[in-house]
Amino acid sequence: MATHSTGTTASPRSTRTAASRSTGTTASLAVAAGGTWLLVVTVLGAGQEVIWRNGLIWALGALAGLSFLMIGVVIAREHPRNQVGPLMVLLGVAWIPQQMLFLPEDPLWALALCGVWAGVACHLFLAFPTGRLGSLSHRVVTGLAYITALVLSAAQALVLLPLPEPLRHIAVALDDSSWQAALLISGALLVLTVKRWRRASVTQRRAIAPVTGASIVATVAFAGDRVADFFPPNPLQLPAALVMLAAFVAVPLAYLAGLMRSRMDHGRVAELVVHLSRRERPDTLRDELAATLRDPGLTVGYWTAEQDRYVDADGRPVHLDPGPGRAVTRVDQGEAPLAVLVHDAALLEQPLLVEAACAAAALALENERLTADLRARLRQLAASRRRMLQWGESERRRIERDLHDGVQQRLLSVAMTLGLAEAAGAAPGRAVPLIGEAKAAVLAALDDLRAVSHGIHPPVLTERGLAGAVKELAAVSPVTVTVTCDLAPAGPLPQSVETAAYYIVNEALANVTRHAAASKAWVRLARHDGHLLVEVGDDGAGGADPARGSGLAGLADRAEANGGRLTIDSPPGKGTVLRVVLPCA
Amino acid sequence: MRVAICEDSTLFREGLARLLAESGFAVAACVDNADELLTHVAQDPPEVAVLDIRLPPTHTDEGLRAAVTLRERHPEVGVLVLSQYVRVSYAVELLGGRTEGVGYLLKDRVSDLAEFAAAIRRVGSGGSVLDPVVVEQLVGRHRQPGDPLGRLTERERAVLRLMAEGRTNMAIAERLAIAERTVEKHCTSIFAKLDLEASAHDHRRVLAVLRYLNA
Repeated sequence: MATHSTGTTASPRSTRTAASRSTGTTASLAVAAGGTWLLVVTVLGAGQEVIWRNGLIWALGALAGLSFLMIGVVIAREHPRNQVGPLMVLLGVAWIPQQMLFLPEDPLWALALCGVWAGVACHLFLAFPTGRLGSLSHRVVTGLAYITALVLSAAQALVLLPLPEPLRHIAVALDDSSWQAALLISGALLVLTVKRWRRASVTQRRAIAPVTGASIVATVAFAGDRVADFFPPNPLQLPAALVMLAAFVAVPLAYLAGLMRSRMDHGRVAELVVHLSRRERPDTLRDELAATLRDPGLTVGYWTAEQDRYVDADGRPVHLDPGPGRAVTRVDQGEAPLAVLVHDAALLEQPLLVEAACAAAALALENERLTADLRARLRQLAASRRRMLQWGESERRRIERDLHDGVQQRLLSVAMTLGLAEAAGAAPGRAVPLIGEAKAAVLAALDDLRAVSHGIHPPVLTERGLAGAVKELAAVSPVTVTVTCDLAPAGPLPQSVETAAYYIVNEALANVTRHAAASKAWVRLARHDGHLLVEVGDDGAGGADPARGSGLAGLADRAEANGGRLTIDSPPGKGTVLRVVLPCA
Repeated sequence: MRVAICEDSTLFREGLARLLAESGFAVAACVDNADELLTHVAQDPPEVAVLDIRLPPTHTDEGLRAAVTLRERHPEVGVLVLSQYVRVSYAVELLGGRTEGVGYLLKDRVSDLAEFAAAIRRVGSGGSVLDPVVVEQLVGRHRQPGDPLGRLTERERAVLRLMAEGRTNMAIAERLAIAERTVEKHCTSIFAKLDLEASAHDHRRVLAVLRYLNA
């Protein structure tokens, strides 16, 4: 069992090694990082007194910084190639200056760096969930957020220094405009976040919902907090700060929840196994897989070697051009193709889940593939049967017309001519030519009847069976035809098979005469393992194409209508070999 | 000339018997299956056996197989096969490399009494008769450009066809309303153009022509 994914929005598949990393090590690392963080914050000046004085808001701030740092460590370990982990760790570190602002006197360095975390947060929100900044607008807004955060924080610190004019004036102006800048960037961030949400598919939304929700609340609260801060004192200052901090605590927790959920997704694979084993109706596999992968629009295609393509459970061809937001994952069994899943591109983020689900469903997929293969064959058979019925119908009409226009008219004329002869009975000189005329008409009627009977069923087939009939075809062919018959005494062939094989050889030899410019041809009839092989080859021009020329298509129909299969090997300039295998058990 | 008839259709069998009697033949036997014919020929060989291809019990090719057997067992008995259809492959099988005393005709040919009686006499006296339809099919195979048959004149092709039907030079001359000497000249020319060895014997000549046409 192997899966290969390709998709229009595919990200490079991460070879996940997280499974081999021990959860214990990750937890220890996270705790160590958190401990270090607390230690740094405490050593830098946040003593007990400070903590008690600011109580709730200090604790919430610390919680935000700690959760970003610690969950960032966990994510960086779980998804080493995803930038979200490092960004969260960075945010946790950048939070330290913010946490210093509770000191009786804000240290200058803390003031100068206390806005940096906002830039990182903007970067993180926009880079979610892949960790990369997708479009130009995302990059521009992130860049602006960093610049604004650094410049405005620096201005905030510079204002407190005894600066010469006009530098001081500039610093004050910058500091005064900080709330407008915060509003502007928060607005841009919100717009981009909402746009991403609207573009996301159902499956993607499900994955990004918690983090998106928390980040929207955090962004709005951040803007509110900045505005409230700028017009002190006002009653909204504390609630705004609390809401913002709470929202920032929620972001990494939401991410953690998403991670847990993806773990639970894997748990659903176990459910899938149980469901599949209890399955009563065989055609619900797609629904089961769709439920496991949480992708209602999932399409499953099953491989049919016969038609060299994927078909759905009903045997209809599946299009592998997935379109935007969709991706294709191939499921193979050993070297042989088994199935394809056309799924939401978001699932490319969870290759292990897809793989696990496919592995769990392998047996059911194989069963379903056989069924789909059968349905595809039935569909094809029904089509060729319909064409054969139409052919039979038109043949009967032709025979009726031939009888009506030929034999019946001639016999009528015989009756009339004999009537005239009867009337002329007294004058023998007149009767004799009339009788001769009647005789000629009867012989012509016999000729017509022979042609009609041949159209209904070749008489030679009745008299000599397939081998003799094919020899007769070879005997009258303008091209020298060698016939080898290896029909063995395995009992007579079914009549339908004989007829089909006869017409196939007839049409194939006619094609050789008409198109191949061949000097010699051969016909081989061989019977083994309950199959009749009919092979007609020539040394002519080759290049025969079943897609063109209805003759070959007619042959294919005849073969398929008898449960057989036609193959043509016709390289240009190297002759043509036509093979039909007909079941005749 | 004594003739045995083997035909399963009563209508045709009785009609044929009447027709032959009318034309001065003695009908030695009138049977409806191949086994009876073989038995009868073994006991009291006629000069010609006329038989159908489709005979009981399977109504497939019993008559053809019986004809081949007859020719093996009783080379002295002429065999004339009559059928609703004529096939090149049957002709080849029936002749089997020996054109003496054998004929293969469409049943339709009984309508020309004189011609049919002549055919039976020819088979009975060791000659051969091949239906024009079979000859036409054989000639028809040689339509590809570059075939030596294309080098023959219209008249030579007509002579070739009649030769293949098993007719003598005299009969050909009569048919084409030309002198027998002219027919002989045509024959020499045909054999030269087709690179065949000329032969004085009619049946060897037929064999050579048929072999050429069926090659």
